[in-house]
Amino acid sequence: MQIVVLGAGTVGTSIANLLCLHGHSVTVVDSDVDYIRRVNETLDIRAVSGSASQSSVLFQAGVMGIDLCLAVTGDDEVNLVAASMSKAMGARRTLARVFAPVFRDMSTFDYQRHFNIDRLLSLEQLSAMELARGIRNPGSVTMENFAKGELEVKEVGIDEATPSVGVPLKNLKLSTGIRIGSILREGKMRIAGAEDAIQVGDRITLIGQREDIDEVTDVFRKTAEPKIGVVIAGGGETGYHLARSLEGERCAVVVMESSEERCEFLAANLKRSTVLQVDATRRAVLEEERVGSADVFVACTGDDENNIMAGVEAREIGAKRIMSIVGRPDYANVVGKLGIDLAVSPREVMARQVMSFLNSGPVISRSSLPGGSIEVLEIEVIQGAPATEHVLANLPLPSACLIAAVMKEDYVRVPGADDRLVAGDTVVALVDDSAVEDIISLFDINGA
Amino acid sequence: MKFADFVSAGSIKAGLETDTKEEVIAELVTALVAAGQIREEDNDGILKAIMKREELGSTGIGRGVAVPHTKHPSVERLVATVGVSQEGIDFNSLDGEKVQLFFLLISPPDQPGDHLRALENISRQLRDDTFCRFLKQSKTPEDIQQLLEEADNNQFVS
Repeated sequence: MQIVVLGAGTVGTSIANLLCLHGHSVTVVDSDVDYIRRVNETLDIRAVSGSASQSSVLFQAGVMGIDLCLAVTGDDEVNLVAASMSKAMGARRTLARVFAPVFRDMSTFDYQRHFNIDRLLSLEQLSAMELARGIRNPGSVTMENFAKGELEVKEVGIDEATPSVGVPLKNLKLSTGIRIGSILREGKMRIAGAEDAIQVGDRITLIGQREDIDEVTDVFRKTAEPKIGVVIAGGGETGYHLARSLEGERCAVVVMESSEERCEFLAANLKRSTVLQVDATRRAVLEEERVGSADVFVACTGDDENNIMAGVEAREIGAKRIMSIVGRPDYANVVGKLGIDLAVSPREVMARQVMSFLNSGPVISRSSLPGGSIEVLEIEVIQGAPATEHVLANLPLPSACLIAAVMKEDYVRVPGADDRLVAGDTVVALVDDSAVEDIISLFDINGA
Repeated sequence: MKFADFVSAGSIKAGLETDTKEEVIAELVTALVAAGQIREEDNDGILKAIMKREELGSTGIGRGVAVPHTKHPSVERLVATVGVSQEGIDFNSLDGEKVQLFFLLISPPDQPGDHLRALENISRQLRDDTFCRFLKQSKTPEDIQQLLEEADNNQFVS
């Protein structure tokens, strides 16, 4: 595919490199000639120097008719303008990286719609989602791209004979926001149907909004899951997003942040977390605040070395699991040896996200459920697609398929049988490998 | 766009009973539910969305006025209500002053133009000191309703 990457910083360069390794044709644009020279020397890709927000530069880079344009310069405003222009100039899909949370909020002004950009991504939020998943739900599928992390897929093992065992799914009184997606039984994974009943020994996946999922999980367990004690070192964007997505019934969250001003913001906006104004890079502080009794310690101070040091100290004091943000690729080798259980690299998280966007036709992203033959497709509903012709119950959907959620703008709903898809919706579907083509043709205006 | 186009008369509150930011917003959202403008099951979702917007920066724009707002797919057209607090409420406003006048607005996500026109109308009208003063002195929803009508007829803004 033809791809243009705007911005040749660490994020842009590493994604360009990865895309190149996957055989795509990549052009990189940056205003800094030194960056361009470095790219030319080290990577086998085309590099154009100039400002990404100038039409002449975008023209030279060839954004017309390309498959994907990524705006990942260090400047939010440049990314918005450049991604918007690229789309208008004929890039099929565009993604822009933004740092400031306000760009992703549409209450006052809808940036994504106004600038006609397919997705605004926050590296910090993506990293926080990755960490959150590692804490709440190890081994779950990557779903951060759906509804800004509001939608989650969770795997639950059925170990005990709860009242929900043996009852056909259609008779299980689950919250309306939840779907059972797949059942793994005797090594075979399949899409759950209304007549299926859960058996002891099954592993099932639940799909829905985070809060509903926590509630429903208890239906399948006799004993409630124990509360997880989480200490977050660093209350920047990543730490804040992480605390927000964890705080609640299942996690007791403590955030350590040294800036007084930032602490005030955190305390005002994190209703169910404890905010401490301390320097988490000092061992005495970690001891004093009893980090040793934490189930999970997460270091996201904004500095690799501090993160690694704090992680090592926390491990020594006795924290059970250590996670850290580590940006530099050459540190990856060391962190495991130092006893850090999960190191999240923002560049890698971003790269994975970008890779899932490299699809043709109405498919926006595509990922596989772990250990199975089931794919999670995110599909755009286009004007005139066969899928818009009837309510869901009357669509010729293959049985090995489940429409798990429908998104309109940022809002997710779990559709019922008499729901009808309209152009502009985005559908999240679980599909068996064998039925993927059938599903896509329902959404493709040329495929029917 | 006029107030009459989006403010639901039946939900206007002349004497707000609560005294914190979140409670006031909740009271106004509940008033919209009671007036049949939004469904009860959407109450919590809308409240959460409005509070999330407040995190990015207070919608208290100064001079005792706040315009909490959000977009939500559960509404099919713009809905809004007005609330007046006699004592004033701490709303982390730009100028640090307590807020007495609340215009709460909820729009469907697919009508971004109307949403901005409504916000613009509210902001423009509230720039008039006389209009604000009269609103703050209102004792009944009918008083407020009448003032909004007068504003719609351009009796305040020159």
